Amino acid sequence: MSSRRPALVLRVPSRTEFLATIRDVTRRMAEVAGFDGAQADQLALAADEASTNVIEHAYRGAPGRTIELRFRDEGSDLCVEVVDDGAAVDPRAVPQVDLQRYASERRTGGLGMHLMGRIMDSVTFRRAARRNVCCMVKRKPAAGSGVAAP
Amino acid sequence: MTELSVDSRELEGIVLLYPRGFINAHTVRLFEGEIQKALDQGRYRIVVSGADLKYIASAGLGAIMGVVEEIRTNGGDIRLAELNETVRNIFDILGFNHLYRIFPSEVEAILSFREGGETGSPPA
Repeated sequence: MSSRRPALVLRVPSRTEFLATIRDVTRRMAEVAGFDGAQADQLALAADEASTNVIEHAYRGAPGRTIELRFRDEGSDLCVEVVDDGAAVDPRAVPQVDLQRYASERRTGGLGMHLMGRIMDSVTFRRAARRNVCCMVKRKPAAGSGVAAP
Repeated sequence: MTELSVDSRELEGIVLLYPRGFINAHTVRLFEGEIQKALDQGRYRIVVSGADLKYIASAGLGAIMGVVEEIRTNGGDIRLAELNETVRNIFDILGFNHLYRIFPSEVEAILSFREGGETGSPPA
């Protein structure tokens, strides 16, 4: 445990006004971890989507709750956990995205979850100590891929 | 700091929307409102010109998805232009590039409505 890799915990109110803060901090942590600008933007988007899901589904729009984001640089990966103590959310209940059907049925839900899955290498959910934990992991670019080490 | 502003203008019956900033769950109502204004006026030919759009989350994509059927049913289309790499990547990741016509420039998007095929059949 002698690693000096960056780790950070961010707690923000469950209000959409703070999505910008989440985006900015995630982007910065991704850059520090060695991701390039385009990848950092995508990681920020995944964190925005996960946090939006918490606000809309776990907290059902209640503004006075807390969203906690835990960033861990694990050497080969960057791990971002999004934690809430709202209602239990079953990600399996989110329908698979079928874009053609979405357009014809005017459905718009589930896109965020789909986007998170496409951006990250791994997205898992667990319920622990009455909290929902969404764990998103992105592998770092291989050394020599042109991305400068932090 | 304002996270999103949306200017609009009309040219040859085409509504041009210029979102500037970030579209996500916090700002999407403004973007939806501008699209809805066009629809309320019976304008079904819309170009979202995204040169100053820094970022779009699923809420914004959902806003487009939510109106496209109505627009196309009325013989129009919603087309996109001048998306930066970040935004374009998001469209590609979700497969939206198969549902919407995306042009490198605003001029090309405008001219595409003159081609006769106003109704927005998705790109091949």
